[in-house]
Amino acid sequence: MRGSASQLRRAISLGLITGAVMLYLVAVGIVLAFSARNTITGVVTLGRLMLAAPPLAAGYVVARRGTDLAPRLVAGLLLGAVSGVIVAAALLFASAVDIRHILVRISPPLLAFLAFDQDASIGALLNLALAAALGLIGAVAAVVPSRVRRPAITGVIGVVVISMLEPFLRPRLTDFKLEGVSRFLFTHKGLSIASAIVVFAIFAVGSVAWPRVRARYRARVAAADPGTQATIRGVTLLLLIVFLLALPQIAGSFLSQVLVFVGLYTLLALGLNIVVGYAGLLDLGYVAFYAVGSYLTALLTSPISSLGVGLPFWVALPIVILGAAVTGLFIGAPVLRLRGDYLAIVTLGFGEIARLLFLSDALKPWFGGTQGILGVPPLFGVAKVSVPILGWQLTGPTLTYYPLLFFCVIAAIVATRLKYSRIGRAWNAMREDEDVAQATGVNVTNYKLLAFALGASVGCLGGAVFATHLASVFPGTFNILVSITVLSIIILGGMGSIPGVVVGALALIGLPELLREFAEFKLLVYGGVLVLMMLLRPEGLLPDRVRQQELHEADEEEEPGADGGALTPAEQG
Amino acid sequence: MAHMLQLDDVHTYYGNIHALKGVSLEVERGEIVTLIGSNGAGKSTTLRTISAIQRPREGRVLFEDRELQQMPPHDVVKLGIAQAPEGRHVFARMSVYENLQMGAFSRPGVSITADVARVYDLFPRLKERRTQKAGTLSGGEQQMLAIARALMAHPVLLLLDEPSMGLSPILTEQIFAIIADINAQGTTVLLVEQNAQMALNVAHRGYVLQTGRIILSDTAANLAANQQVRQAYLGEI
Ligand SMILES: Nc1ncnc2c1ncn2[C@@H]1O[C@H](COP(=O)(O)OP(=O)(O)OP(=O)(O)O)[C@@H](O)[C@H]1O
Ligand SMILES: [Mg+2]
Repeated sequence: MRGSASQLRRAISLGLITGAVMLYLVAVGIVLAFSARNTITGVVTLGRLMLAAPPLAAGYVVARRGTDLAPRLVAGLLLGAVSGVIVAAALLFASAVDIRHILVRISPPLLAFLAFDQDASIGALLNLALAAALGLIGAVAAVVPSRVRRPAITGVIGVVVISMLEPFLRPRLTDFKLEGVSRFLFTHKGLSIASAIVVFAIFAVGSVAWPRVRARYRARVAAADPGTQATIRGVTLLLLIVFLLALPQIAGSFLSQVLVFVGLYTLLALGLNIVVGYAGLLDLGYVAFYAVGSYLTALLTSPISSLGVGLPFWVALPIVILGAAVTGLFIGAPVLRLRGDYLAIVTLGFGEIARLLFLSDALKPWFGGTQGILGVPPLFGVAKVSVPILGWQLTGPTLTYYPLLFFCVIAAIVATRLKYSRIGRAWNAMREDEDVAQATGVNVTNYKLLAFALGASVGCLGGAVFATHLASVFPGTFNILVSITVLSIIILGGMGSIPGVVVGALALIGLPELLREFAEFKLLVYGGVLVLMMLLRPEGLLPDRVRQQELHEADEEEEPGADGGALTPAEQG
Repeated sequence: MAHMLQLDDVHTYYGNIHALKGVSLEVERGEIVTLIGSNGAGKSTTLRTISAIQRPREGRVLFEDRELQQMPPHDVVKLGIAQAPEGRHVFARMSVYENLQMGAFSRPGVSITADVARVYDLFPRLKERRTQKAGTLSGGEQQMLAIARALMAHPVLLLLDEPSMGLSPILTEQIFAIIADINAQGTTVLLVEQNAQMALNVAHRGYVLQTGRIILSDTAANLAANQQVRQAYLGEI
């Protein structure tokens, strides 16, 4: 009995928090912004779903504990009702008293949306009932066994994602002569009720079938002889490569543009990951290297830059990388003795200094001040490449995509090799305990500088591609937000994890590009994501622990020996 | 060649805190020398100065006639001086095995299999726990790991900073037995201890440090019999 009383108390306090979260989402305007997006046309919009998410999730959380069915469900219901009361009260209050001069987003359309286009008092009741129902549904989700919950949740996610992709899917389906599919799926920029059911069913069934198929496939691969296994691995790799190469053709020009941004930030994050994730040096001025890469490339390749030499990109690139590495050493050297927060603050300053230098009037003859540098030729010297046989015409983002992919792959391979090498171990030790690392013979100075130089080189690659992609560089691009974004990607994905970097970039760069409405709220969402990650999953979405553990267990059983010298890792698991 | 290790009027500061006020001591090849003294006497500082993690402002540190005081710490390790620092400074998020691997960092390009086997022999507990994250080991296990890691460097001179700290009496016995064992196999040991009784039992000679100065130096047996030492460090009234 006492247990259930405390559960109810918890439901009330969580309900209050949930209500506050809902009000917050409403008041910043994010809900209304997304209410123009139909998820299921005529039934529910993305804005509604956003507002529904907090009581659903909280209902699930509160009902996860406990053994008896009834109190758990009651807790969910109560929680939902409490949050509903808050929203309803706020709605009544805002309808009666004009608070728009304080909270500018509380506009009549917003209030109408909140009240389901009804009278405020009816709207308030509807909100109360809806929130209570959502809390209960959340609780039900916690009560039912996971073989029911998983498919249901996957189905809902499927519906949301497919409807979100409508603006991109529809034209692509038409391009691929699949108007029928497109007409069935979408009505008025959202799924129809029928197609929503079909999509839900497909995803739900998929979530059940997929693990089984995978398990069977894995078992079969494991049972095969080594030769066959190698072939399978080769074929998988080949398929992946073909897919990555064909991706811009499948995605079309707009999505390719998104891919270019994702690729750019993946590259930057791979570079910063070396500095922050491996060596544990919190560098908040990473944008400096991005800027140096861009500006050096522009200076060297643009015929109308102050240098005016107009070198081809691939000739300029080694010079750019070298220049960035030297910059890395320049920035690295003075901060060698600093630790933790001091390092973060000083590098933050360096990032700003770099931007101000490029912006400054004194250096205008070189860098063009606010005007930046124009006339950067495209990466391959031509704006359009036709691929024989396949008949692809590559321009703009579909063209930039390829060198970017190439650089990302190279950077990922280098980063992986480094991680499990002698160098990687030294960084690891340094990150854990600098004094002891020194005492075991790690030349801390050199390894720190190496991390800075490598991180700088990778970051400048991103800058170089960026300059050619935009055909120009401007100082305004290189603000502190770039550093923060890249760092957020690493934290979201999991410090030091390479797949994590890719996932982080997809989530933090790709998603906001797809949901243009997000642009305004991007920083808010980043902040929220970071706080949530720190609270719920500080190791990131795809931490590298497990793999590392496996790897090292493996290499001990065999032959741990022969520590490789310099850049060649001797033992790869 | 004179002494293996010689500190000659060494003054070490932390900012303007004068931690070592002219310490002179010698360690001969094959010895176990212990450095005892109360909290804050400067024992750890002495070891940190030898390892060159802390630089002396005055005086010289000579190891086989080479001056260490200007050398970077990673070069000192290469000369064969390894330290197991005070307070369980293991690499917490690395596995036991990875910690050992780091211990051999100063000897690149050689197989460490035999060395790992040797320290696993000395500390069977570490073998059982070889894939566990060092930060999740018990205090005593972490202490063993810190010593084992120092051994992985193949030191000719091993600096141990309070190896018995926080260990049960039985484990303390074992650790001191292992120290004697390591010494018998040819490693010279400079041992810092709070547990003066045990330290003086295992050591050949000893120094007593008080607020940054050496106030006594003698054979271990004489120190153990010394009235002043007995009162101050062996708990006799
Ligand atoms: N990093 C530091 N910064 C400032 N003062 C320090 C630092 N480390 C040690 N000290 C001071 O130097 C003196 C000697 O410290 P040290 O750590 O060498 O003592 P110790 O003999 O090892 O003591 P314990 O037995 O408690 O370990 C102490 O007064 C201490 O406060
Ligand atoms: Mg000490």
